[in-house]
Amino acid sequence: MSHPAERRLSTSVLIIGSGGSGLRAAIELADRGVDVTVLGKRPRGDAHTSLAAGGINAALGTMDPQDSWQQHAADTLRESYLLADPRTVEIVTRGAAQGIADLEQLGMPFARESDGRISQRFFGAHSYRRTAFSGDYTGLSIQRTLVDAAEQRGVRILDDVYVTRLLTSDGAVFGAYGFVQQDGTRVLIHADAVILAAGGHNRIWRRTSSRRNENTGDAFRLAVLAGGRIRDAELVQFHPSGIIEPETDAGTLVSEAARGEGGVLRNARGERFMERYDPVRMELSTRDRVALAAYTEIAEGRGTERGGVWLDVSHLPREVIMERLPRVYQTLLELQMRDITREPIEIAPTAHYSMGGVWVRPEDHGTGVDGLYAIGEAASGLHGANRLGGNSLIELLVYGRIVAASAAEYSAALTAQPRSRAAEDEARAEVDGLLAADGPVNVRVLQRALRELMTRYAGVVRSEEGLLAGLAELDRIEGQLDDIGVHPDIAAYQDLAHAFDLLSSILAARATLQSALERRETRGCHNRSDYPEQDPALRVNLVWSADGGVVREEIPPIPEEIAALMSEVSVDGKLVE
Amino acid sequence: MSTATLDAPTQDDAVQSFTVTFIIRRFDPEVDDEPRWQDFDVEMFATDRVLDALHKIKWEQDGSLTFRRSCAHGICGSDAMRINGRNRLACKTLIKDLDISKPIYVEAIKGLPLEKDLVVDMEPFFESYREVQPFLIARSEPGAGKERVQSVADRARFDDTTKCILCAACTSSCPVFWTDGQYFGPAAIVNAHRFIFDSRDDAAKVRLDILNDKEGVWRCRTTFNCTEACPRGIQITQAIAEVKQAVMRGKP
Repeated sequence: MSHPAERRLSTSVLIIGSGGSGLRAAIELADRGVDVTVLGKRPRGDAHTSLAAGGINAALGTMDPQDSWQQHAADTLRESYLLADPRTVEIVTRGAAQGIADLEQLGMPFARESDGRISQRFFGAHSYRRTAFSGDYTGLSIQRTLVDAAEQRGVRILDDVYVTRLLTSDGAVFGAYGFVQQDGTRVLIHADAVILAAGGHNRIWRRTSSRRNENTGDAFRLAVLAGGRIRDAELVQFHPSGIIEPETDAGTLVSEAARGEGGVLRNARGERFMERYDPVRMELSTRDRVALAAYTEIAEGRGTERGGVWLDVSHLPREVIMERLPRVYQTLLELQMRDITREPIEIAPTAHYSMGGVWVRPEDHGTGVDGLYAIGEAASGLHGANRLGGNSLIELLVYGRIVAASAAEYSAALTAQPRSRAAEDEARAEVDGLLAADGPVNVRVLQRALRELMTRYAGVVRSEEGLLAGLAELDRIEGQLDDIGVHPDIAAYQDLAHAFDLLSSILAARATLQSALERRETRGCHNRSDYPEQDPALRVNLVWSADGGVVREEIPPIPEEIAALMSEVSVDGKLVE
Repeated sequence: MSTATLDAPTQDDAVQSFTVTFIIRRFDPEVDDEPRWQDFDVEMFATDRVLDALHKIKWEQDGSLTFRRSCAHGICGSDAMRINGRNRLACKTLIKDLDISKPIYVEAIKGLPLEKDLVVDMEPFFESYREVQPFLIARSEPGAGKERVQSVADRARFDDTTKCILCAACTSSCPVFWTDGQYFGPAAIVNAHRFIFDSRDDAAKVRLDILNDKEGVWRCRTTFNCTEACPRGIQITQAIAEVKQAVMRGKP
């Protein structure tokens, strides 16, 4: 049986990424009767959404009647250190209840209260109980529900397709190009509109909660080469507790619940170090503060030999651990043979979520490139300098609906679509070129070097000196691209996928380093040792373009009814250096 | 040695490794008429998984070894295989839990068409799955922007069967399925159960009719192979029994 060298497909709306945001948009398009095709580089059941554990936010007001979407918006804006776009925040929080209802309609098995309401619990820094969940596998349940619903509607989902380029002509998108990872078959897809739902860039750090080929910055590169821009690339959430060993699983999360249930943090000297950073909230302080504290302890030589600190739950009753932290118990037992009811866990901060992303308009998530939209972790605007747990999942549901509607209208309004043979040939030639690369340099070695440099120079704490050193190192890595070798074996074209992952990672790293240089202040997740204070003049978003330029973008004022509900942003315990 | 923490790292935590022999059932349709067994010696740690061994073989010894894998932590369901005669996920099977004094046999799951090495054609499996309409079919309308209510007991009714990851370990361990592959198989019934017993769903009768077919639930002989094979610990045989009762008496 011979395969065609190139498959050619055509669809009204093409979605790149089969995680929660891509599938939610696909379902909406199918319900509107619009032809839609979804491409994913991973199997649909195993998109990154499936790893989310905790929950999904909406101010339903059924658990706490005082809650309102305005309060949810106020909490989100406050915790974003005022860098979230108030329009985006309003759209998400206002639409959140509908998002939950939609998901419930699609069959999501939410946990329930005794009278049948959807159960909601507290999450860090929320004023009320507004986090709905399904055990400690909420993301998996959402992903499964959306896959079932998409298949029910006959949505065409193609797994294992790696997209290498968006195709544009005269500033408008007309499709995408890529290849099937299993056998190398090329795929050329013509589409009226394209929705980019391909995740963030947190896999470009050494320790990360993303798996090998996830969140390598693909969406950044695809958007930028098509004419899009990146907003706030420097704003990356570091989760305080990722495991250190085994190396292959470094960065795997120990849920925040471990601290929530009474877990204690100690440095290698046995000191309960949160006393020095946030004596009131201690271990229950916000993610950015706990991550910074752990980072500082390690950087100043009070960490463990392997570069971590201890998270100890062994003083808790065994039943509490088994009942409230079953996944943590199971994970540590499997990965480290460690019984957390007896021993502490060695942890270090781990890159977790890209709060910045492709620049989009708040109202429809258009990217400024005609016909191209971005959504989910690939997009930006909701989280600012610190993300509230549970907000990213609701963003998928709210914007999935909105972006699908916009793309459907755009498609319907097209009277003709210019295509470009040159763009198609360029995409083909790029893949051909990499397949012909036969140099001595291993792609994965470069990828590892890039992740090391990001961890060293653009981790929890940054400085001008370090960021410049990082950029110089990045130039050296990029300079070696001419000498790489790409050797797909007979089993699969993984090596080619890794080469493209590397190209995306390099672009995402450059955007991050250059934006971080420009943010000469300390705010939320972004800590500058040379600028330890927050600078009111930098209450702006930073927008990066392919030429390396970073421009400031004003953030519109917060509506009065929401501003009135915001309490003061405390910077106590922010940077103890 | 009371100051051990300040000394150079002590070597007693240098973990011991073992040479483990894997005997893998290989098949390349382009070359082989019949599958053949091939030995590989691999250096492993007690905490490694069988999936790590397969990776090591692929990367260091034989790049042509073909298997499916994705998440590597028991969620995606892509690496179910037969390990020492038992269906398990390669990514969840620790070396320390196997008897490494003897070779470890690894082969593709049974009952589905073998494509290459450890990869089978999953299409017949997913065909059965799709036939039971594995999605919520609800006619009740709770009003715009509102949720439907569901009691805690009703939610608990189908909790166990929401855990399925569609790895096919159960279906491909079922002797009835092996005989002719016509039987729907445990996984399809588990996923029908998930919706039949969801109080919000209105299509139980449709699914029960489908499963009342001669290739449906009645072919289950309660051998419990499926329950033993399930990497998620779902009480599959019990779920099938509940579906059988519902066929006879209607949805409770």
